[in-house]
Amino acid sequence: MTAFLALLRRDLVVASRNAGALLMATLTQPILVVLVFGNILPRLHLVADEFRTVMVPGLMSITMLMAGVQGVLMPLAADLSGSREVDERLLAPITVRGVALEKVVAGAVHAAVAGLTALPAMILLMHRVSGIDVHPRWAVLLPLVAATGLLSAAFGLTLGTHIQPRYSGLLFAVVIGPMMLFGCAYYPWAALDVLGPLQYLFLLNPLVFMSEAIRYAVTPDVAHMPLPLLLGGLAVFVALFTELGSRSFAGRTIS
Amino acid sequence: MEALAVEGLVKTYPGGRRTPAVEAVRGISFSVAPGEFFGLLGPNGAGKSTTLGCITTLVRPTAGRIRVDGIDVARDPRGAKRRIAVVPQNRNLDRDLTVREVLTYHGRYFGLPSREREERADRLLHEMQLAEKARDRPLTLSGGMQQRLMIARALMHDPSVLLLDEPTTGLDPQARRMLWETLRALHGGGLTLILTTHNMEEADRLCQRVAIVDHGRILTLDSPAGLKRGLPGGRILDLWLGGSAPLAARLGALAGVMRVEKVERHGDDGDLERLRLFVEPGDGLLDRVLHSVREAGADLHHVSLASPSLEDVYIHLTGKELRE
Repeated sequence: MTAFLALLRRDLVVASRNAGALLMATLTQPILVVLVFGNILPRLHLVADEFRTVMVPGLMSITMLMAGVQGVLMPLAADLSGSREVDERLLAPITVRGVALEKVVAGAVHAAVAGLTALPAMILLMHRVSGIDVHPRWAVLLPLVAATGLLSAAFGLTLGTHIQPRYSGLLFAVVIGPMMLFGCAYYPWAALDVLGPLQYLFLLNPLVFMSEAIRYAVTPDVAHMPLPLLLGGLAVFVALFTELGSRSFAGRTIS
Repeated sequence: MEALAVEGLVKTYPGGRRTPAVEAVRGISFSVAPGEFFGLLGPNGAGKSTTLGCITTLVRPTAGRIRVDGIDVARDPRGAKRRIAVVPQNRNLDRDLTVREVLTYHGRYFGLPSREREERADRLLHEMQLAEKARDRPLTLSGGMQQRLMIARALMHDPSVLLLDEPTTGLDPQARRMLWETLRALHGGGLTLILTTHNMEEADRLCQRVAIVDHGRILTLDSPAGLKRGLPGGRILDLWLGGSAPLAARLGALAGVMRVEKVERHGDDGDLERLRLFVEPGDGLLDRVLHSVREAGADLHHVSLASPSLEDVYIHLTGKELRE
């Protein structure tokens, strides 16, 4: 446990030193989307006012997905392809799985900080715009942010250990992009009943559970996924990606 | 109890659809006494680094058993990792930390209390002549300094065995000599050191015992002096010849020539034939040899007469020059 906490401390200290750049990288996208879709387009009456309320939790979950995946994937890709700084960690008195789990926890903290910064920034940007109905329930939000952060970081570990670094550009176009479009970020899952049974196909996308979790906590008045399904989905995906990711991490680091 | 015991170590990397399986280590056994300076000498690809990887838990052995201070590495990897320290071949310093933090964070990973951590970091920075660089980033240091920082990092958790994988590769002669001094001082302080190298001089100068490794096996294991004593005759006479006159048998029959070996060449002047004579120097030996060469009509390019080195032991064992 000592080694685990020491590694976590190292990662958080290093991340906090680069906080400015990291926040800029994660916040630029949601802020610009809010400006266009939450501010300009409604004023031009090109999108419905309700869209602003629906969009806020979705953008927050996308921000967390990107932060969690990038927070784990980028350093891991550099490590596995050349610098091998990871070997020092593997030589510390900790199991290989422990080293992998630390990366997930560090990535989750990264994602949580990004999400919790994005939310007030978005609310602030739309404070003069009418029709927005965002009331974060903090006591519910914080544990769900933690679970959402763990999911995005575990997903990052799985991607980072399965994919050759030279394909990481492709990854964002082919995996993360479609995930964002079909991740119930811009529409609530409950409203997809218009699609019939196809609605359940969306449940294969982990981002759906992240978006619905944040939606449940931030815009309680918007229709959302039933709580048992929501929590079950988060738990299954966190467990699945943590297991897949740490297994292939061990495969990539120990020959 | 031995500081390190390796028994019947085998490592086979499984092949893929298009790549054959690689038998990197094919049954290596040796043990190292506490306080000993031990060397694994051999060409690249001989299995030295894989052996080191197995000792440090980064490579999973196919078969065999490794104990560090009596602790089985496979059964208790965390216990074993507390006792060993590694200076790897590639420089894997944490580039996001300062030089001093590289040491203090390493101390944290091993659970060192804060005061001990700080004191030890200061002492090691001083001993490795890095105190002035404490606030710099590791990547701004010279190669020799980075190597010394990796040694300082390895020493932070007070290991009983220090493993160094080709530590002087890529260093200039001055930095190499400085590193040798550092390693000698550590050995003088009672630390057990295990070094892999393909540098004969390095093994000869530093190690108390050397295992010569090739193709995943230990060919021989003894002190450098013992290895050299095992060669026939007292001196080595090397002849580089043009053309391919059948000389070996003729030279082997001369008085004072104990043995003649033909050496497989890798160097720039690879078209010359190299004959290696193990000789007992005595009256007229050189005359007799030169006379035979002339008689056979061979074209003698150059000659060297020297005391045997570890390279001669290697050539004697494998029939080829060490590939650098």
